[in-house]
Amino acid sequence: MNRRIALKHLAMVTGGIALIPSCDFSSDDIIAAYEKLQIKASEKELLGAISNTIIPAGEIKGALDIEVPDFILVMVNDCVKTEDQINFMAGLRAFPEFVKTQTGSSFSSLSDNGREEIIREGLIVETEESVNVKYFLQMAKRFTIQGYMASEYIQTEVIPYSLIPGEYNGAVMISDINKPQING
Amino acid sequence: MANLNIQNKQERTYEAIVVGSGISGAWAAKELCDLGVKTLMIERGRNVEHIKDYPTTNMLPYQFEHRNQLTEDIKKENPVISKCYAFREDAMHFFVKDKEHPYVQEKPFDWIRGYQVGGKSLLWARHVQRWSKYDFEGPARDGFAVEWPITYDEIAPWYSHVEKFAGVSGNKDGLAHLPDGEFLPAFGLNVVEKHLQESLKKNYGNDRHMIAARMAHINGSPEKFVEQGRTLCQSRNLCQRGCPFGGYFSSNSSTIPWAMKTGNLTLRPMSVVHSVIYDEEKGKATGVRIIDAETKEMEEFYADVIFLNAAALNTNAILLNSKSDRFPEGLGNDNGLLGKYIAFHNYRARVSAEYEGLSEFTTSGGRPVGGYFPRFRNVYKQETDFLRGYAAGFGANRGAYADTDAIGMELKNNLLNPDKYGPWRVGSHMMGETIPKETNYVRLDPELTDDFGIPQLSVSVDYDENDEKMTADYLEQMTEMFEKAGFTNIRTSDSKQAPGLDIHEMGGVRMGKDPKTSLLNKNHQLHAVPNVYVTDGACMTSTSTQNPSLTYMAFAARAAHHAVKESKG
Repeated sequence: MNRRIALKHLAMVTGGIALIPSCDFSSDDIIAAYEKLQIKASEKELLGAISNTIIPAGEIKGALDIEVPDFILVMVNDCVKTEDQINFMAGLRAFPEFVKTQTGSSFSSLSDNGREEIIREGLIVETEESVNVKYFLQMAKRFTIQGYMASEYIQTEVIPYSLIPGEYNGAVMISDINKPQING
Repeated sequence: MANLNIQNKQERTYEAIVVGSGISGAWAAKELCDLGVKTLMIERGRNVEHIKDYPTTNMLPYQFEHRNQLTEDIKKENPVISKCYAFREDAMHFFVKDKEHPYVQEKPFDWIRGYQVGGKSLLWARHVQRWSKYDFEGPARDGFAVEWPITYDEIAPWYSHVEKFAGVSGNKDGLAHLPDGEFLPAFGLNVVEKHLQESLKKNYGNDRHMIAARMAHINGSPEKFVEQGRTLCQSRNLCQRGCPFGGYFSSNSSTIPWAMKTGNLTLRPMSVVHSVIYDEEKGKATGVRIIDAETKEMEEFYADVIFLNAAALNTNAILLNSKSDRFPEGLGNDNGLLGKYIAFHNYRARVSAEYEGLSEFTTSGGRPVGGYFPRFRNVYKQETDFLRGYAAGFGANRGAYADTDAIGMELKNNLLNPDKYGPWRVGSHMMGETIPKETNYVRLDPELTDDFGIPQLSVSVDYDENDEKMTADYLEQMTEMFEKAGFTNIRTSDSKQAPGLDIHEMGGVRMGKDPKTSLLNKNHQLHAVPNVYVTDGACMTSTSTQNPSLTYMAFAARAAHHAVKESKG
């Protein structure tokens, strides 16, 4: 990702100073790369855990393994309107409280099943106070899917992407298609 | 000193100057060079060399930081160009950004431009339908604009000439109002597109057709294109990035390298043409003034013949800015009509639908093309309460998608194994003829200038009642044809997009028989300054419905041959 490479370069010329805020979670500083979001390291960590629940690791890698959270944040920072960025961040920040109210514990202490369950709930929640949570989860899910499927890993190692799609056939019998099942 | 000036002038003198390196300019240059004419081609933008300067051509989707989406910052900075369907992360570098060349919108007009060697020929939609006699005869029959001074029969051999070189895929459909050409094999239509063809035949007899669009893609006989260094289209559908195969026709892949090989072409990029130089004593144009885009210094170049192919509106701008004692209102503008009778194509309307039938089929592979409805309204005689008619694009598609309702491993497995099929999706868009009117014009702003001190172009172009009626008719007729084909969930839309976004602006320097009512004669020469030729969109007397580039190419080739014949007396 260009932005991350640029930050590394910046870190090199400034003697590593720029790297500190994005890596040192304990200080929970704001991550400089996503200047419009003012997102803290801990918040990004939570987003990572959520994306990894949406697409977990298994036989093949999951969202966190291939840095999907960075993609989500690039897209929200760059390609989303200001008011939608505000709603996204409000939802991300309200999510811990939502989890606490619904389950009595924190997201990180839930089991894998528990995490899936609460995200599923949040995606369809209809209450007034959870409107941002729902908005955030829907956008996070959409960008998780996009970032995962349109990743270097998927497009080179799992389902190699061809720039040359082959000759057009305008009458393919669906029953004749026989693709090997990929087991996630 | 005097000697130095003479020497300097000799170095700046060519036999012909072509202004613009886009689809029409490069054709003029190629023909001139093939005929042994020492030609200077001037381009306001940077050089773009075939393959070498296509930085995104082999990039995979994941290599675009925003997966080919525009950022909000870019959209905010570029409200006009961001509306263009092809202005995305992969081809942004071939478009003019809003701030780079400002213009005045007296009425909303989205001016889409490509300032580089090759111009918009890198970015075009590659449809190359011929005009027929019914198109050229339109203004005379229906009593608008002025009569075209040329006929289909005069242009037909030049259509053949450019088709053979460019490479055009298509079927011989045998339609009098969309003449067949020199075709390579067509790309195929799919089962639903063929179903629509049959439905049209059943319901409308021989009155309405939907055919495989004729496209400037090499689809067969690659041996014919080896000498150009081009080969078969690979159906990548990434044309706007520039094609490393030269699979589609562009100035960059085809006419410019060809002209270069003759040894007769000099290419001068980064040179903004300010005006044409007119010599009153000689009674003709003697060259052009350019402003070097880097040094901002004015320089002059000289030639016996000048071709203006700067793209329709910029050709108008150059002529309007070419003022002299003899032509105080712009070169060749004795009748005051220069810049007037601008027209365009009405691309506002769309119809989409679904088809539940043929559900056992899908498609595979790719193709750079879809279907095309040739005009069926008012073709042979006036039948409706509006003048002229419209062509339309058509396509049907279907592919497997993944169910994304779940989350977790279930979602992951669904994503990796897409196996859901919805109904076929079909869609059509309108390409309507607009009637050139004196009230649709461009002029130079009296005060505002651009970075080069050249007056800004001021554009005043709008739809009229004829366009409204035609739009309504398209929506109604396409809906009817969709219904008869059994399509369901039919949705119509009228974007009311501003003129310009069709990227088919034309006219302002129209051809005609009478110098009192037109600027150019039947050979594309300014009536009043016959050594200046205009063969881009500016010359268009009317617009008809076909995508215009093929006609500009044929015009440019024909006019270049005329210019050479004239000079040999």
